Amino acid sequence: MNLLLKAPEGHELSEFLFSLPFNLYGKAKKTDGTLCVTRSEIQVYIKGELKDTIAFDEFEEYACEQLIGCSMMVGRVKDRNVKCICAFTQDNFIAFAELCKILNHYLTTGVLVEESDIDEPKCPKCGLPLDSFTECPYCASKVKTFSKLFGRLKKYKWAFLAAIACTVFSELLNVVSPYINQLLIDDYVWPKNQSNWVGFAVLCASMFVIIIINTFLDWANMKASFYVSLNLGQDLRQDVFSKTLDLSMSSISKKTAGDLISRVSNDANKLQSFLTDNGKSAVVRIFSLIIVTVIMFIMNWKLALLAIVPIPLVAFIIKRAYNTIQMYYGRSWRFSNAHSKLLHDALDGIRVVKTCGTEDIEIEKYRDASFKAAKASSKAEIVWYYIWPACDFLLTIGNYFVLYFGAMMILNRIPAFGTMTLGELTRFTSYVGMLYNPLRWLLQLPRQIADVSISASKVFEILEENTDVRDSSDCVDLDIKGNIEFKDVYFGYKIYNPVLKNINIKLDKGKMYGIVGHSGAGKSTMINLILRLYDVTQGSLTIDGVDIRKISQESLRSQVGVVLQETYLFEGTVLENLTYAKPDATFEEVVQAAKIAHCHEFITKLPDGYNTRVGNKGHTLSGGERQRVAIARAILHNPKIIILDEATASLDTETERQIQEGLAELCRGRTTIAIAHRLSTLSNADQLIVLDKGRLVETGTHEELMKHKGGVYYQLVMAQRKNTKMKEANIDAREDPKPEFAGAN
Amino acid sequence: MDKNENKKDLAKDMEIERKALEEKFEIDRLVILDCKDLKFYRDDGNFISLKYKNEDYFNVRLTRLVPFFSKTTYISVAYDNKENEFVELGVIKDMSELPKDQFEMLDQYLEYKYYMPEIKKIFSIKDNNRGFIFVDIETSSGRKTICVRDWYSNFRMLSESLLYAVDVDGNKYFCPDIEKLDKKSLQILEIFV
Repeated sequence: MNLLLKAPEGHELSEFLFSLPFNLYGKAKKTDGTLCVTRSEIQVYIKGELKDTIAFDEFEEYACEQLIGCSMMVGRVKDRNVKCICAFTQDNFIAFAELCKILNHYLTTGVLVEESDIDEPKCPKCGLPLDSFTECPYCASKVKTFSKLFGRLKKYKWAFLAAIACTVFSELLNVVSPYINQLLIDDYVWPKNQSNWVGFAVLCASMFVIIIINTFLDWANMKASFYVSLNLGQDLRQDVFSKTLDLSMSSISKKTAGDLISRVSNDANKLQSFLTDNGKSAVVRIFSLIIVTVIMFIMNWKLALLAIVPIPLVAFIIKRAYNTIQMYYGRSWRFSNAHSKLLHDALDGIRVVKTCGTEDIEIEKYRDASFKAAKASSKAEIVWYYIWPACDFLLTIGNYFVLYFGAMMILNRIPAFGTMTLGELTRFTSYVGMLYNPLRWLLQLPRQIADVSISASKVFEILEENTDVRDSSDCVDLDIKGNIEFKDVYFGYKIYNPVLKNINIKLDKGKMYGIVGHSGAGKSTMINLILRLYDVTQGSLTIDGVDIRKISQESLRSQVGVVLQETYLFEGTVLENLTYAKPDATFEEVVQAAKIAHCHEFITKLPDGYNTRVGNKGHTLSGGERQRVAIARAILHNPKIIILDEATASLDTETERQIQEGLAELCRGRTTIAIAHRLSTLSNADQLIVLDKGRLVETGTHEELMKHKGGVYYQLVMAQRKNTKMKEANIDAREDPKPEFAGAN
Repeated sequence: MDKNENKKDLAKDMEIERKALEEKFEIDRLVILDCKDLKFYRDDGNFISLKYKNEDYFNVRLTRLVPFFSKTTYISVAYDNKENEFVELGVIKDMSELPKDQFEMLDQYLEYKYYMPEIKKIFSIKDNNRGFIFVDIETSSGRKTICVRDWYSNFRMLSESLLYAVDVDGNKYFCPDIEKLDKKSLQILEIFV
């Protein structure tokens, strides 16, 4: 990333290592400022004048802080902002954040990196954010995107070619039909030639044969098209789904579940229908356009010109009209969407609506949204019915010229145009009609291409994305014993915002460790790193002395068991959910695991035993039951490292007590790392790891840490005791209402 | 001697725990600050600090509680304590009750924190049919073409009259009352909101 963007007035860029412009300074005034970094210091210029110099070590840390409408670069001492160095609108936030990262790297290592190694965040051509794209999807060559898309047709090329051949023949036959019509009119209708019945019968038979052949061709075309379309769609969906599951968590978490579902289904479907409908149509319609135009020019070039000349002008007008229509439909879609959201919201929160007695307000809101949706839809339809007939009339206006001048030619009123028979004119107008159909399609094509190219780029973005957490070529399958070590680990989900800072700790095999800290301290992040859902930004994480990046992901995850706060059960039976982590487990093994996890009893009481369906997300089971199923699943998995992430947090104390036994069995002899807000849950831990704002601040047993009165752990315990007392006090108050409340009425 | 020290330690521990537990009935209530007690000043780091009831609070957090509907009323004043916990001193009900210099200092700071150019005129809105719109606007900070991604969410009305826009970089813009825009701007806008 280029961090040498603009030099202060009167200076050259070459004088600095980094130089970034900023536009806010001091008292929220717009300014023309530059923040420059030399080898020894930071310089702040306002309108070319040096206003401030800062030695690198004046602060312990540099950071970019996002305010509401702007951001500022600050110097920090002991995690507190001490100085606002400069401020800027968000355009250059990432550049400043990267600069802070480089300065912080210098403060910790003494090495001043002279070039940023991250990619440019914006497309240099169009300026749109690149996000995770390697190539700007909006500037990427459409030809390249579509050639990739059509490349997928290769597998079904024979069926696709058959479909094209059928359509081409069908179009050719359609071109012949007007000629037969002409012969019929000119030879048999107009002169009333009733003596040659044979010729008449041959022409009629020919038309009949053409209809039969066309029907057959349509059938063959449909069969081949469906074959290509369905297989292609299936391939696309399968590939996108497989690749999605293969992506790293950092890639996946940038997209919402809805977005990914849309890519797997909607975008893939859109490409499927575009390829099979338009891919074929493109060939056929362009072919048909050329053939028809050539025939028309051969028949009468003057009339052909009259039919074609208005088209460029009309195409321009229609394009503008389509844009207007599109906007109105977009608006209608938005209002309709808002109306659906409101409906969804009110029905989802029906209990709240009823308990607050706000039915009338909701009804009024719904009426308003419904009215707006109807009005927007009606306006869109009105615009469509105003514009579309006018557009169609304009597009086919050449036809009226042809009819007028053609009729004049039949009557021989315009000698300069020559003469024409009625049959010829009928044939010619048929061709003009055949010319307008592909033209209508062509006019719609740019919009379709724009729409589909977005779907294509979204689909190919996933298909071609290189996952940033991947197995290296020299990775090994490790038989894990359970020793874990964090060495100088730094990690941030966003480069400019480290969540873990300088973590150094050794976890010995077979022991239980509890990670504690305030919300956002980095507890779950530590676990995510052990699971290798993300790679460390700096430093290393080793398991049994092997860098985690050198262990194959399959080998690692097959030996790490996880029990989360919210257990996700898949749609299926209890048995299927239990064997999810080990599909080849025998039934005896399953029951054994269920017994250890104390879930065998409730499973046997279910109507269909182990074959009971748990429903979507396991909704037919209680929270405690679901958690026990998760523990049984983990036991069956037989991992070397166990991770318990708030495993019992959502359970009541009684259920937690029942589950603790199962957990104790699961953790025996295995390296266990547990996170729990309820600190009593971690009382059995061999060691507690205390995190505070991403830093490891204390380690030790509960007793050891409680001796340190000013410590983070001590404060956490005290705060929790206070909360417990408050809850007890609240319960007491509810059970024993005070007289003044009781007698208030 | 050792026993006595241990006893002292134990007594001290118990006192700390007792104090911690005694706090259990403290209920957080809204504190409306009396502007006469507040003395804001800019510190060396360019942050706003506060002298309040003979205490100095360095780098206080000033927050507009209803930023879209009022700029100078209901301003929360808070600070981070030694444990870096958020502690709210109270709320200024109306900044205009502050002395003029104090009002200006806070107003400047808040304008800075909530830097959000106001949309004065809309020249054009172009949809690239790929989820982005390019809006050519005249703002209180000059004319600019902003690019808005996912514009159904980032270019919308927050109330019947308040337009709110966030561009691809995260810069925010607003128009307090679209009805006050000129007719042409309104016509352009109408189709997108």
